[in-house]
Amino acid sequence: MLKTSLLFVSIAFILLFAADLEVTTLNPWQELQRMAIGAVVPDFMAVYAVKEAFLNTVVFAFCGIFLSIFMGSVLAFFFEWKPVRLFCAFIRAVHELFWALIFLPVVGLNPLCGVFAIAVPYTGIFAKVYAEIRQESDHSPLKAFPPHSSRVSQFFYGVLPAIYADIKHYSAYRLECALRSSAILGFVGLPTLGFHLETAFREGLYSEVFAILYCFYFLIASLKYWIKEKVSWIYVVLAFVFISKEVSLSWQNFTRFFTYEILPWPMRRRGVLDGTMDVSFSSDSVWNWGKNILQTEGFDGVWNTIVLTQVVLVGTGVMTLIVFPLVCQHFQQGIPRRCSRYLLIVIRTTPEYILAYAFLQLWGPSMLPAIVAIGLHNGAILGHLTGQNADLIQLRADTPRGKINRYFFEVLPRVYGQFLAFLFYRWEVMMRESAILGILGIYTLGFYIDSAISDDKMDKAVFLILMTALLNMVIDTTSQVIRKRLKISTKLTTSG
Amino acid sequence: MLRLDKVSVSYKDTLALKNITIHIQEGQKVALIGPSGAGKTTLLYTLYELEKQHASFVYQDYALVPQLSVFHNVYMGRLDHYHTAYNLFNLLKPQKKEIEKVAPILDSLGMLDTMFKRVGALSGGQQQRAAIARAMFRKVETMFADEPVSSIDPHQAGTVLRLITHATKTVIFSLHSVDLALQFAERIIGMRLGQILFDLPSDQVNDHVLSQLYKPC
Amino acid sequence: MKKWISGCFAIILFSTLAQAQTLSFTAIPDQNTARLEQRFGKVAQYLADILKIDVKYIPVKSYSASVNAFKNDQVQLAWFGGLSGVQARRAVAGSQAIAQGEEDQYFVTYLIAHASTGLQRSDAFPKSIAGKTFTFGSKGSTSGRLMPEYYIRQSFDQAPKSIFKRVGFSGDHSKTIALVQSGSYQVGAVNFKVWERELKEGKIDTSQVQVIWKTPTYVDYNWTVRGDVDKKFGKGFTRKLQNALITMHDKTLLDSFPRKQFIKADNSMYAPILETAMNIGIIEK
Repeated sequence: MLKTSLLFVSIAFILLFAADLEVTTLNPWQELQRMAIGAVVPDFMAVYAVKEAFLNTVVFAFCGIFLSIFMGSVLAFFFEWKPVRLFCAFIRAVHELFWALIFLPVVGLNPLCGVFAIAVPYTGIFAKVYAEIRQESDHSPLKAFPPHSSRVSQFFYGVLPAIYADIKHYSAYRLECALRSSAILGFVGLPTLGFHLETAFREGLYSEVFAILYCFYFLIASLKYWIKEKVSWIYVVLAFVFISKEVSLSWQNFTRFFTYEILPWPMRRRGVLDGTMDVSFSSDSVWNWGKNILQTEGFDGVWNTIVLTQVVLVGTGVMTLIVFPLVCQHFQQGIPRRCSRYLLIVIRTTPEYILAYAFLQLWGPSMLPAIVAIGLHNGAILGHLTGQNADLIQLRADTPRGKINRYFFEVLPRVYGQFLAFLFYRWEVMMRESAILGILGIYTLGFYIDSAISDDKMDKAVFLILMTALLNMVIDTTSQVIRKRLKISTKLTTSG
Repeated sequence: MLRLDKVSVSYKDTLALKNITIHIQEGQKVALIGPSGAGKTTLLYTLYELEKQHASFVYQDYALVPQLSVFHNVYMGRLDHYHTAYNLFNLLKPQKKEIEKVAPILDSLGMLDTMFKRVGALSGGQQQRAAIARAMFRKVETMFADEPVSSIDPHQAGTVLRLITHATKTVIFSLHSVDLALQFAERIIGMRLGQILFDLPSDQVNDHVLSQLYKPC
Repeated sequence: MKKWISGCFAIILFSTLAQAQTLSFTAIPDQNTARLEQRFGKVAQYLADILKIDVKYIPVKSYSASVNAFKNDQVQLAWFGGLSGVQARRAVAGSQAIAQGEEDQYFVTYLIAHASTGLQRSDAFPKSIAGKTFTFGSKGSTSGRLMPEYYIRQSFDQAPKSIFKRVGFSGDHSKTIALVQSGSYQVGAVNFKVWERELKEGKIDTSQVQVIWKTPTYVDYNWTVRGDVDKKFGKGFTRKLQNALITMHDKTLLDSFPRKQFIKADNSMYAPILETAMNIGIIEK
């Protein structure tokens, strides 16, 4: 374990030299001051003006999560089948913002775009997690079933009751994530909170920014009070009725996009130039087209994404190890512990995209804001989980009295395995985030994807998105191999 | 009739049953006794495999679904008799017809008041009786029971065993208590180290064979 | 249940029918986007009054979103930049540019620099910007990216990334000015109309940021309409729409763009933009 940790730390250290960490703004403190003022005097009138965006945020999240729970459950039944597993790995390897960018030209700026952008990757996640919950569940009641009872009956009587609580818990946690996703979809133009947050940030209206953020925190914190199992279906129905007012889906756009626009340019070139829109194929020119994208943008994007991911991975680890004692009962008690816990909740509730956007305003475009944003967000999540784990350990009777000794000689060695498992589990999540932050102007894959979309080259964009997904799947597999080799594991439902 | 001729069963490297020959006539009540690890459970499973369609089994670990009510667990015994849709419907809303069928069985086991309690919330003895109720609800002619009264207090154990042996035609059960075995079975099979040590009518079982059965290795 | 489903379908059907009677338009978000809805809402009202149909403004967050909305027939009319207009018309057969701002015939881009660079205004292209940090506007902007990139490539015969220390895309012209003024970037490329308006409004501190060069003139923004609107809203609709635009004289409306007035335009005027875009690889050839 120590060897692996040192290996990753030294990789990150070397890559740090390749990373661009410059603060480019001349006066970051002045902007920070203005932000702080905004945080202290939020302008809640602004929230009233964006109440529709609030509603949209909730509605998209509800519809998206409902569809993905449904589709995910269905796919979970076939998860043993390799093509299904690969398909799910692929759809969840693409970040919801990228899905939104793909769906925008297909369905246009309408609620379906937001709902699909959430539903598609979440379907992949649910399929995987549901299947794993099912695998880990207690199978012993099944042997007592009459030999010829139908599989459906067996599932509903023998399996579902056993896994229902876990499924419910995990789905509720994902609803919170879906709200975050829904909010940031506004940054690419959907009518959710991000739309107004982006505008307010861009123009430095920090009082508006913080008013919106505070209300968003309140929304998330209040979830458990109004989302009750028995009434949740009413919300789902209401949400679907709400979006159905604006939904329009053109099959023509759909086919045009998937059977024509994403074809590599050399295949469409002749048709576009002579106006017939015909498709022709020559492997040579398509090969050159792909090679050219890889050489000019692809490899650069992959390299920068990996640099950012590896630095962030270690940064998150360091942050986790620093913050978890603050919420652990063996080091902190009473009010300070509670305060640090709330702080961690606030940080992890803030979507990393918004954190990155804020730091970008402060320090200008380099990898630094991205590293800090992803590190903070993930560090807060892992710090909370590791703290919970540390709470469970029973201290030895002769535990060191000094907190530093206790940390290094008792608590840390005992939670380190779990901590590494959590960290490697989120490795792939961090990579997805690193890629997506390219949209904000850091030269990771997201930057080139955004540029391709901006130039209206959907073929190139989809090609690069496929590359991102592939990279993500490679990292996911590597992480599994490392976790298996180190013999560390974690209950998936808690580490998100 | 159930019959095994020179059957051996092994798990991984250990031989659990060695060269077993056994014939059981319809209507017999047979008790398996012997020290732990003698192969009683394996023998029960092996016999059960022969007659699976028309037999029920009471597992030592109950194999109940703790999140469901006693009613639903008992109902599972006849899951194959109903249409899937009806099963699902009954899961959501217990059907009166089924309640009426389950109630007398639970009543006879002294469990009527727990019908709609979650199994997970019951005591070990109650759970075991729920498992027995499920096997009885299956309404088949043969029942296998692996230590069916291990968690039930001695006083009630007799009642439960009497119930089982009266309700079902052929009963094969393993027991720790020799006294109960002698009381409720007409045929006793003594097992030791995966082999049948003796196979006698209950009135011919004496202290000598029993001391051979339970002597230390 | 059945009732409920059919009710839903009725709602969907009804809403699509209702939409068919509405002319939707959008505008590229080239400057401060706050209160865009308010500003363009007035334009929508003006068009609705003259054309006697419902007109709705749909806000978008990016240039490409406006192009896509046009492609998907979500908007039938759009206020595009030179480049986005070319992209949109290339994708939708039959669509045409019908009007442009008077200023769009001779549009220019300003290169602006922070005072600390010591760069001075010159008539020749300022080659000394090499090695500085540089920000464009939006990736899809004509004045903020296409034309400046074209002239930069022409002068250095290299891609911007290898000329400058750092290349960014601010997103819009207001932000470009703010970033160069604050020193986050040393040099930037900005739409001259936005620069002059913000200068007049007193938002620019000329001791911090100054214009160092202006590009030769080119054609830029345009109103583009889909080819199928005549079928949808009645014969001669395109002409009526064109008339409504070029007879818009209310200063508060024109200030949203900001233009003095609109004049007639046609697709052929934008051929040079297409050629430039192909030249630097934004549009494939």
